[in-house]
Amino acid sequence: MAKTAQEKLDEKAEKQYAKMHVKKIKMKPGDIVFSIINYTFFAIFTFICIFPFYYLFINTISDNDLVRKGLINFVPRGIHFDNYIRLLAVNDLFTSVFVTLARTIIGTALMVGASAFVGYLVTRKEMWGRSFWYRFLVVTMYFNAGIIPWYLNMSMLGLTNHFAAYIVPAIIAPYNIILVKTYIESAIPAELEESAELDGASHLRIFGSIVWPLSKPILATIAIFGAVGQWNSFQDSLILMQSAPKLYTLQHRLYIYLNTTSNLSALMSAGNTSGISKSVLESALNGKVIKYTISMVTIIPILLVYPFMQRYFEKGIMLGAVKG
Amino acid sequence: MVNEKKADRLYYLYRILAALLFVILFLPAANPARVCGLVNRSTSLLTSGFSYGTLIANFGRAFRKGWVLESTMHVLNISSLLCCLGIFGCAAGACLSLGNHRCRRLGNLISIIGSAVSVMTMIGMHIAYTQVAATKKPKKVEPSFPEGFWPVLAFLVLMLVISIIMQLLNGKKVKDEKFYMESKYKLFLMFLPFILLTFVFCYLPLWGWRYAFFDYKAGDILSARNFVGFKWFEELVRNKTTMDDMVRVMENTLAMSGLGIATSWCPMAFAIFLSEIKHTRFRRFVQTFTTIPNFISWVLVFAIAFCIFSTDGFLSSIMVNLGIWSQGQNLLMSGSHVWLKMLLWGMWKGLGWSAIIYIAGISGIDQQLYEAATVDGAGRFQRMWHVTVPGLMPTFYVLLLMSVAGILTNGMDQYLVFKNSSNTAQIMVLDLYVYNMGIVKGAIPLSTVVGMLKSVISVILLFGANGISKLLRGETIV
Repeated sequence: MAKTAQEKLDEKAEKQYAKMHVKKIKMKPGDIVFSIINYTFFAIFTFICIFPFYYLFINTISDNDLVRKGLINFVPRGIHFDNYIRLLAVNDLFTSVFVTLARTIIGTALMVGASAFVGYLVTRKEMWGRSFWYRFLVVTMYFNAGIIPWYLNMSMLGLTNHFAAYIVPAIIAPYNIILVKTYIESAIPAELEESAELDGASHLRIFGSIVWPLSKPILATIAIFGAVGQWNSFQDSLILMQSAPKLYTLQHRLYIYLNTTSNLSALMSAGNTSGISKSVLESALNGKVIKYTISMVTIIPILLVYPFMQRYFEKGIMLGAVKG
Repeated sequence: MVNEKKADRLYYLYRILAALLFVILFLPAANPARVCGLVNRSTSLLTSGFSYGTLIANFGRAFRKGWVLESTMHVLNISSLLCCLGIFGCAAGACLSLGNHRCRRLGNLISIIGSAVSVMTMIGMHIAYTQVAATKKPKKVEPSFPEGFWPVLAFLVLMLVISIIMQLLNGKKVKDEKFYMESKYKLFLMFLPFILLTFVFCYLPLWGWRYAFFDYKAGDILSARNFVGFKWFEELVRNKTTMDDMVRVMENTLAMSGLGIATSWCPMAFAIFLSEIKHTRFRRFVQTFTTIPNFISWVLVFAIAFCIFSTDGFLSSIMVNLGIWSQGQNLLMSGSHVWLKMLLWGMWKGLGWSAIIYIAGISGIDQQLYEAATVDGAGRFQRMWHVTVPGLMPTFYVLLLMSVAGILTNGMDQYLVFKNSSNTAQIMVLDLYVYNMGIVKGAIPLSTVVGMLKSVISVILLFGANGISKLLRGETIV
């Protein structure tokens, strides 16, 4: 696989930085001050970006009593994993995890397959009405009817309170189709397809044996973005599954849990504790740990795929800058 | 040969009919299986065929009391299912009609069978209707002859007749002929399912805009009786409460989008200063970890906010342990500086990610420009200002214009999760307002009006931005 222009540029920049490093340009005092400020700023910003995740994590694995007293702030103490085990007992949570996993896997697979196939089809110039249909598809990125007509439409189609609502509308992703199309046009030589055609290969065959294997890098990119999008989606569960709590996604479930807690703690901060019994308060405080743990469970998959994602997202965002 | 020409002309009618029948599958208004008031008004033929659960959703009581026999509904369900399959057959036949003689023969055969089956199932639906009509409790069950019954039947019969005629016109099977279809049609047919999906999920909702002109409450039917014209549009301006709401909502929307636009240079600055860091490891490290927040949902951002700023979160426990606060405070509940806080959360989530495109842009700038600038005696900041910034400007312009075009669209997730009783007034943006009014409160027509206006204005803004871009830089952004 030839390196993309982006990768080459990256390398070039890297080398230049390395060269400058070796040369040890004489630092002026102004430069030193600038560097210190610059490094400090980025160190602080990065810290702000990662610390909350760390804080959340150490609070879920530390001794619950210490957490309740608010003593776990920087270092975990009394490490245990009971909280995670305790989550197994929460029934709703398990269904939500299952639903979310299912939609992530099925939805992403369908979306990637469809994007690859449609991306290939729209590169075929001989298709009847190609440019019109391509525009018909792409234009949908720039307008939408609004949330209420969307909801009414979904309920008209019988997709409310139905699992299919999570995956069927997600099959068509115009932006991803553009990405695949651009990739095929730029990275796969047209001669390959032509010669296969001369040898009598059908369109499906060309797609299956040439286009699909050769466009894997871009497919991996859209797969990862698609999967993260599916995992994170919350709005469709909130609006469409109003009377099917079994189909709530993990994000929706987490939203509900967080809200119950924030209401309880809000009452407490006002000092208005007289009306509430002590046990309710205690369970609310213990609830805090449980809520942290659920948040952590929701975040972990993202953090796990993140290293893989990183390889791809620069490519993705750069290709996106190229218009379809 | 003469026959073939005639057939060609008939084929257009044939394809249009098949397409029409296919559309009818999705239209609840034309559902021939809606035999009584208990069947939900928004049930289409497709739904009544493929989802028995939806079809009998309201029948629990009717079944228990014996008003309607369960077998009746089974008949109805199976008839609808077969009817759908028959119509699918017609559609397949229409698709095959794009091919050669042999394809057409097969296609005609399929659509003859399909339409015949569908016509037959209409009888089943009629039986189901007569059984329902004979119920003991007509008041509760509200049997009504489905409005779509005769039209659908007429279409199906017409389809049947045409496909038979066509099969006759087509003549006998030619020996040794193979299935063949021109490449352009083959590709189109492979594309067709995706066109349909796009149509159903992206274009069909536009049809829902008609709710803006009716006096509609959940479960009603749209008819001439509750058509109100532009009443809701006028209501928006005339009604004092709605008007006040709208003014407040627009204020919030524009303020938050405006703050976003005013800070849209931040990712660029972030990228430029980050590229000044020569320590490659550290630069990579920063880039990696500042991007993470972009990939978690707003619910999770709220979870993060919750663990840091709530009553027993990080900040409170630090402050209490240090003795600065006597009691934990829930900063999320406060209603002050909401716009600013939302902006900061947006930055926390998006700054690192938005910077990536600029970082990539910087590595694309010709290094000789920097060298030349250095030779000319430009300092660090001068190089940034006179080389890097102009190099990134095209990207910046495009993103800026896009964000101007999207000024009314803030998305609702962020504001929904951060909303609480004390900050509602400042956090209510247009998207959230529409959701609240339509889905939560059920004021569907009014919220459709607002959403509709928003969509139209957004599209106009986008084209405006596109035009400006064309005028200034000779390049379009969409």
